[in-house]
Amino acid sequence: MALSFKVKAISRTRFIKNLFLSFIVLLSFLLILFSKSDYLFVNKFKSISNTYIHPITSFVVAPLKIASNVKTQFYEFRNLKVENKILKEEIMRLKKWQALAIHNNSENRVLKKLLNATNNNISLVKTASILTRNNFLYSKMIKINAGLKDGVLKEMAVINHRGLIGRTVDTSINNSKVLLLTDPNSSISIKTISNENYSLLRGADDGIHLVSAFSKSETMPKVGDLVVTSGSAQVFPADILVGKIVKIIKNNFYVLPFVNFKNIDYVQVVETK
Amino acid sequence: MLSKLLSSQIIIYHCILFFSFSLSVNYFLNLEIINYLAYVCFHLTLIYLFFYFFHFALIFITFLYGIFFDIFLVDNLSPHLITFLIFVILFYFTKKYLLNLSSSKISYIIIIFTLLMFASEALIANLLFNYPINYENFLWIFIIFIIIFYPTLVLFSKIDKF
Repeated sequence: MALSFKVKAISRTRFIKNLFLSFIVLLSFLLILFSKSDYLFVNKFKSISNTYIHPITSFVVAPLKIASNVKTQFYEFRNLKVENKILKEEIMRLKKWQALAIHNNSENRVLKKLLNATNNNISLVKTASILTRNNFLYSKMIKINAGLKDGVLKEMAVINHRGLIGRTVDTSINNSKVLLLTDPNSSISIKTISNENYSLLRGADDGIHLVSAFSKSETMPKVGDLVVTSGSAQVFPADILVGKIVKIIKNNFYVLPFVNFKNIDYVQVVETK
Repeated sequence: MLSKLLSSQIIIYHCILFFSFSLSVNYFLNLEIINYLAYVCFHLTLIYLFFYFFHFALIFITFLYGIFFDIFLVDNLSPHLITFLIFVILFYFTKKYLLNLSSSKISYIIIIFTLLMFASEALIANLLFNYPINYENFLWIFIIFIIIFYPTLVLFSKIDKF
């Protein structure tokens, strides 16, 4: 009798364990399936994780974050003298350019008036600061402190004073995730300024450059050509600076973005007017 | 059962696991080595827990960590979730054979399991989400793994005696 009870108890426990295991496997399968098909459910799940779990992990590692910031500041402080010298030279150079720019600007304004052209094709949605950045192993992303309540929606362009940074991919009430240009899954349509060579760019494997994924024209652009957004994919407004072509290997050209992704503090979310 | 689940060593291991998870998902600018270190440490601790402190609840914990790693590092569910589940289920069904092995053999298996986990995560991310396999990252992970493997095991054995 006792033996029979024991056998039954063991088999019941094993049954419950196997049932639980099957449930976990099924749940994982469904989650993976949903992440491929049902974006609404998975996005909700992601935004909940980002809102509640990430702050906890940030709190746990806060002392190390402070140490990391101190190290960054120390580096900056050490380079202050050299940086100061470079900046002085740049000021001299920019002063010369300023005179030329003022002249061109007035000329440009007159020409625009003649052509009846609009002044700017982008409108600012929100200026935001960076909360966290993820540049480790797989995706290249930043999280900004602007979300749905600020009018930030998915698939909006994000820029700073140097040029294009990326696009919003996930928005919650208060925060948004921005996929950086350097992510291998990011894709932007661009054109070269010199010969209007239309292409698609994606993040290169090195995580620094952008590489051409598809080119519309047969001729290759030249090294040194400037690259701007073409505005044809509807996500990014046209004519936002992206970078400079630095090398051409086989049939692909590599672009070095103007934005220093390690040194972004504030960004602007913009949309096409 | 609850006392086994909440024994002091297991709490310490779970604290290490959570701390290394937190370090892995928070990017440190100019101190990227901490991210690598924590990432390797997490995998090592997880496999150590599989071997020496396996409990059924660990499957659920592994499942949660897999999801959160995927959300924070890949922004898509799959690579970590699939890898963690495959390894925990594999261990669940083979533990009675694995636990009969000598401690040195278990150490070798921990090395193989950990490296296989890194490889399969990168492979799944590459196959499903087009993330290129970055050999430089792999090299970093491998070097850090080789450096911290023995000291970590020594530390863990000290915790076991605690």
